[in-house]
Amino acid sequence: MSNIHTTILGRGLRLLTLSVACVTAATHPAHAGSPDTREAPADAHVFVVGGMVHVGDGQILSNATVEIQGTKVVAIHEAYTLANVPSDARTIDASGKVVTPGIIGADTSLGLLEIEMEASTRDQSRSDESIVRAGYQPSTAINADSSLLQIQAVEGVTSAAVAPSGGLLSGQVAWIDLLQGAHEDIVFAPSVAVDGRLGQTVAGSRAATIAALRKTLQDARVLRSRGSAYERRQLRDLAADAADLEALFPVLDGKIPLTLTANRTSDLLAAVGLAKEFNIKLVLLGGAEAWKVRDVLAEAGVIVVVQPSSNLPQSFESLGSRLENAALLYEAGVKVGIAVLGDTHNVRNARQEAGIAASYGLPRDAAIAAVTQVIAEAYGMQESHGSLQPGKIANLVVWSGDPLELSSWPEAVIIRGAPIPLISRQSKLRDRYLERLRAQ
Amino acid sequence: MTTTARIVRTLGLAATVATFACAPTQSSTTAPGELAPAPPRTTSTPLTPPVRAGASVLVQGGRVMTATGVILDEGDVLVVDGIIQEVGENLSAPEGVTIVDARGKTVTPGLIDTHSHMGVYASPGLRAHSDGNEAVAPTTPYARAQDGYWPQDPQIPWAVAGGVTAAQILPGSANLIGGRSTVVKFYPHVRSAAAAHFPGAPDGMKMACGENPKRVYGDKGGPQTRMGNVAGHRQAFEDGKNYLRTLRQYEEEVEKYARGEREEAPEPIERNFGLETIAGVIDGDIFVHNHCYRADEMLIMMSLAKEYGFTIRSFHHAVEAYKIAPELAAAGTAVSIWADWWGFKAEAFDGIRENAALVFLGGARPIIHSDSAIGIQRLNQEAAKAMYAGRRIGVEISEDDALRWITSNAAWALGVEDVAGTLSAGKMGDVVIWNTTPFSVYAKAEQVFIEGTLVYDRSDPARQPSTDFSVGWDLSSTEGGNER
Repeated sequence: MSNIHTTILGRGLRLLTLSVACVTAATHPAHAGSPDTREAPADAHVFVVGGMVHVGDGQILSNATVEIQGTKVVAIHEAYTLANVPSDARTIDASGKVVTPGIIGADTSLGLLEIEMEASTRDQSRSDESIVRAGYQPSTAINADSSLLQIQAVEGVTSAAVAPSGGLLSGQVAWIDLLQGAHEDIVFAPSVAVDGRLGQTVAGSRAATIAALRKTLQDARVLRSRGSAYERRQLRDLAADAADLEALFPVLDGKIPLTLTANRTSDLLAAVGLAKEFNIKLVLLGGAEAWKVRDVLAEAGVIVVVQPSSNLPQSFESLGSRLENAALLYEAGVKVGIAVLGDTHNVRNARQEAGIAASYGLPRDAAIAAVTQVIAEAYGMQESHGSLQPGKIANLVVWSGDPLELSSWPEAVIIRGAPIPLISRQSKLRDRYLERLRAQ
Repeated sequence: MTTTARIVRTLGLAATVATFACAPTQSSTTAPGELAPAPPRTTSTPLTPPVRAGASVLVQGGRVMTATGVILDEGDVLVVDGIIQEVGENLSAPEGVTIVDARGKTVTPGLIDTHSHMGVYASPGLRAHSDGNEAVAPTTPYARAQDGYWPQDPQIPWAVAGGVTAAQILPGSANLIGGRSTVVKFYPHVRSAAAAHFPGAPDGMKMACGENPKRVYGDKGGPQTRMGNVAGHRQAFEDGKNYLRTLRQYEEEVEKYARGEREEAPEPIERNFGLETIAGVIDGDIFVHNHCYRADEMLIMMSLAKEYGFTIRSFHHAVEAYKIAPELAAAGTAVSIWADWWGFKAEAFDGIRENAALVFLGGARPIIHSDSAIGIQRLNQEAAKAMYAGRRIGVEISEDDALRWITSNAAWALGVEDVAGTLSAGKMGDVVIWNTTPFSVYAKAEQVFIEGTLVYDRSDPARQPSTDFSVGWDLSSTEGGNER
């Protein structure tokens, strides 16, 4: 595969896609649609030379080179040229291009979902009686062969938070790098957050929902401090199964965040209140009306992940939806992330969402950070993901131009140090019919 | 001015002729007064839009994208009394005509969406606002979107802010035949579907293939399978054909009576609103808009249409259209598609970004539609994504081509191509001024004109999206004084 990559990267994009498609189809007819992607071996040495590099820590370097060894970024060089690249290293020429950390999908079902309306293709949800399913860990069900992975990856999505759904607390969020077909490598961390949902989730009432969450957190505390009493069956009934409460210990310890989908102002404030009461790290997803309480959110240090295009009063919990939500939050000092929420098939459109936020007042660099660095931070993954600082996982994209613009496209996508083939089940379907049409 | 008036009159006349084309006896006989007239077969209740005086405006100096193949780098668009009088360079404004400076901006026709449920699935998405699927039986051709359309849906002015000036409002896809669609223009101050009606636009008939009717009726007596779907479609057209035959026989008897060839007036036939709709389709007065995803199903539906003597005007969603582009081209059937929605159900699993581009390459007529009150606000961006996806694989698509996907092709699918969809003399003065090329993520409609009237102005607080519903939630807002 490596010489194919070299050929590809030396040429224009169009040749790249088609030539790889042909080669792969010829060699792996039985696995059409599953390009072999895996993380780079330790001795792989790659230089992405001369691009405008968004490092992800606030720095934007106009002519910089990212040096990658194995799966990690080892250095960012300025004033570096193709001639400087060691002869045994791979070169990706990024001059005139824009290099960013890979896009990270927040609150996705990647790897757990193939077709939304077909239950046999879905594993996001543990459907049981209990509304508290914090112990549910879907990482073991993540399917590295899912077609959705590469379809997002070729458009620059390199990592994702994979969240379960259903209930008040749905379970544990896994962190993946989008290496389609890499069954052993795809899960980077199985449990980086616990995910849940406010609103009318419990007993048809927002107040009941908040009360149930409070009781759950209280009982998790009780279980942690009186575990031996529980073992001796000397404890009153708890709000949930012990395994589901134990899964909340890292949340109570502040080691991992609690990510809550919430939209109405009253829910956002209640969530902030609970986070203070239990001293937990809170991330809000959705946040349709977050701009109304932006000062409270800024003061509480809560990261809010929004979908900027959602500007309609689609329900009575989001009457305050507006296009300037992201910009207003940002101006108030809230760390704002951007995502496509609730459409795992199009996680790839996060950059368009970021572009929409940018056209409604969010600074462009903040919009890029909102789909990369801020999402990593939201899930506590900033030590390994979301930026191109030395020591971080080498997940990055070489864009043909402004990463937020519709005319731009990834010319190279590197995941865990390895440039992935820019083909997907969709590109293969396309090429089948393109060839027929051209032949006519 | 004179051109203008003629166009409007021609349009009105054409509509009138179309209305009665299928009932020649109406105009050719002098039937006795007691005779029941033959039931009409097009718009079942005539919609009379209020008389509106179109405004006049000269949009000057912008990059004018006409959607006719011509782009003027610095051009003018002159609208007089609501109708485009001239598109060209260095035009001068007749006295009293407002001049709008569009230098540095891009000017396009108003965008047209062939697929919207605004008004019948309004926001907030309350149960009480669910007026788009008459899901009581798989075939409800008597239902009409115009009767469920809430012109105060707060979603509508946001579509206008996205440069959209007209749309087809469709019943949903729960049913094999969901009923009649209606084409609307987003005129301001509208309080009825009649007032919103696109003058002269024919009704559509919404049909659906595939998973939705199966899912909705599988446990309610069927259809439960695609076999049942097609059988239901065929039966409906058979019934429509028979109704049409009965109608024609009646018309013949009426003529005989008028000529004195029979003594008693014929017994009037019972009017059937649903069969009238289907008969209108067979006669070509009502356009079929067919929700259909898979290539095989589209081929079946095209063959069924051929069997009953009509053409499907547009498939909708059609995520597999790229697989049958030559067949679509041969049939003269357009496809209204998304740029990138896919995978939410099995029949949408083979969606690709290049769908529009491959349809275009195959010589058929692509249209980018929204089916979404969020998506309709950015039809231009959706078209951009589809255009760039095509260019990346080497399909030559100009900006003018892609613009047609959201203007003139859509106008054609809705039967209003003679009066809308391009910036050409004689067409309605529906004009959008953009801050930049519409094919950018940073593109915003700055001013939107419908028939020469400024209906949206991004910089004017008095012309922001607002409906009755949106008033009064935020008491610090000044909203409320500008009735829309």
